[in-house]
Amino acid sequence: MNLSEVTERISRKLESSGAQPDRQKIESRLRRLVEEFGVNVAEAERTVTGDLAREHNLPNLGSSSSDLRPINEIAPGEWVTIEGKIVSLTPSISPSIAQNGIIADSSGAMRFVVWSRANAPAMEYGHWYRIESAVVDEYRGSPNLKIHSGTTISQMEKDVPLLPSITPSAELTPGVGSVRAKVIQDWDVLHERMLQTGLLGDESGTIKFVIWKEEGKEKLELDTVYNIYYATVDEYNGRLSLTLNTAMYIADEGDIEVGRNETEIQGALVHVAPGSGLIKRCPVEGCNRSLSRQNYCPVHEIQSNFRYDLRLKGVLDDGERARNILIQRDLVEKLTGITLDEAISIAESNPIGMDEIFYRVRNAVLGRYYTCSGGEFAGRMLVDSCVPVTFKPEELAALLNRAGGEAA
Amino acid sequence: MRPQATFEREPARRIFASEFRETRYQFKEDDDEKSPNYVIFPTGIRSNRIFIVGTLTEKQRQGDQNIFYRGRVIDPTGTFFIMAGSYRPEAMQQLARIEAPAFVAVVGKPNLFVTQEGNCLVSVNAESITVVDRETRDLWVLDTARETLDRLDALGTTADSRKAQEEYGTQPEIYRKIVYDALSQVQM
Ligand SMILES: [Zn+2]
Repeated sequence: MNLSEVTERISRKLESSGAQPDRQKIESRLRRLVEEFGVNVAEAERTVTGDLAREHNLPNLGSSSSDLRPINEIAPGEWVTIEGKIVSLTPSISPSIAQNGIIADSSGAMRFVVWSRANAPAMEYGHWYRIESAVVDEYRGSPNLKIHSGTTISQMEKDVPLLPSITPSAELTPGVGSVRAKVIQDWDVLHERMLQTGLLGDESGTIKFVIWKEEGKEKLELDTVYNIYYATVDEYNGRLSLTLNTAMYIADEGDIEVGRNETEIQGALVHVAPGSGLIKRCPVEGCNRSLSRQNYCPVHEIQSNFRYDLRLKGVLDDGERARNILIQRDLVEKLTGITLDEAISIAESNPIGMDEIFYRVRNAVLGRYYTCSGGEFAGRMLVDSCVPVTFKPEELAALLNRAGGEAA
Repeated sequence: MRPQATFEREPARRIFASEFRETRYQFKEDDDEKSPNYVIFPTGIRSNRIFIVGTLTEKQRQGDQNIFYRGRVIDPTGTFFIMAGSYRPEAMQQLARIEAPAFVAVVGKPNLFVTQEGNCLVSVNAESITVVDRETRDLWVLDTARETLDRLDALGTTADSRKAQEEYGTQPEIYRKIVYDALSQVQM
């Protein structure tokens, strides 16, 4: 970072509080700290700002790294001192990390990592610590406290109970969050290290959750309301999910009226998955599973009295995100122009049978643009409505304008 | 802890032929054999899958033991070279059946190949090819124009786009002009 930029920033900060700082003096102090004493620029900026604030009698201006800060006000890039309670410790994922977890105060909570190189004393779960001169950086879109060899950690005698504030799921941001939510779906686990995954819902909407296998971690019960404190909120392609390995969760009395979040997506259908087209379903009451080619139900074995159905499993992709969608019979009939009865008679008279319907469905929809809306289940959108996108001249005009400006 | 993210399918990026042709830079996120190969496009986004719609103008069957098909797909800015081989039998059968000329939608993987002379050839390894109509082609031009303009607006603000600027010295005005010219060929 350029020192004259920093000088300018410090000067403006002082000026906005009514002081008249001497830019030359600021720059020479910065230079001295950085060049002679090897202080990094961010720290030098804080020191000089703090000194000048005192000189100009502006006590609120120069929060230096030694001033105690509430956790929810800390932004990436700062050097900070905080006092907080260790509310979660997670197993280290790498030998270069001595400890990682979540530290909280009454204002909020933040992930932290202690580097092995820091040679810091191990912190204990449930205890309060004063942490001086830690650095905050950004990890997966949220602030993360890094404890390095220059950080001082001291255990405090304090034991103030912390009541984490509950956030509506729709207002969560990446980092750490606490919710009161009901388990509304329990999905199949597709990964051997995963204990459970599904959907949580509260009044504001729904959010996916994951619990990875770890000693002492228990599954959530379906249809039960939980207070979940200090879960990790991750973001991927604009969608949030909660990882409960850092969290403490306690079943709660009462019920929640879960807010529905129907979503609408527009994109190109870039994949039609096997299992699309004409399928056979198990006739046993309440089963309805799709049968294998040999009419085999994974639960009820051979079923020759199956019933036929049409469906489409595919991927709708808007160029930013690829989403799995599942379209049921009536919409498949509309999109492809093939009714279930026609599909059955084609399949029964065709040498390749049901594959012929798969190809016809695929050829009718693959590579075309659709707008689909529906709710989400097990990472897949269950489509309630699906219409082809049509060309709109006003969109072309708007894009020409955007691309060409004056040339348009 | 592996993030759930790893299970999500990569989106198929939209790109015009004239930008795709300039693509040179590819990388892997880690040394793992199974980790995907990405390219970075000049307008600054990583990709291991693209979606294109254009006119298939010719196709050729090649090879004796290992049969594969080559095709040329034209968009308003240039030509995509499409390949479909036996490792993707469905795409190969699809391409084998389509009579050129036809509007086609192609989903595929960007493929860079450096010749012994050091020339870089960029093509698309097709995962699927289907016949579509003119309206789908027009929608794709709009879609690709929008995505390209969004990338140009974000140039320099993401790690991938800074990498693109470094590798290609991307000049936004040139790509804005390409987008404008492509849109101009769509009938109102
Ligand atoms: Zn059954």
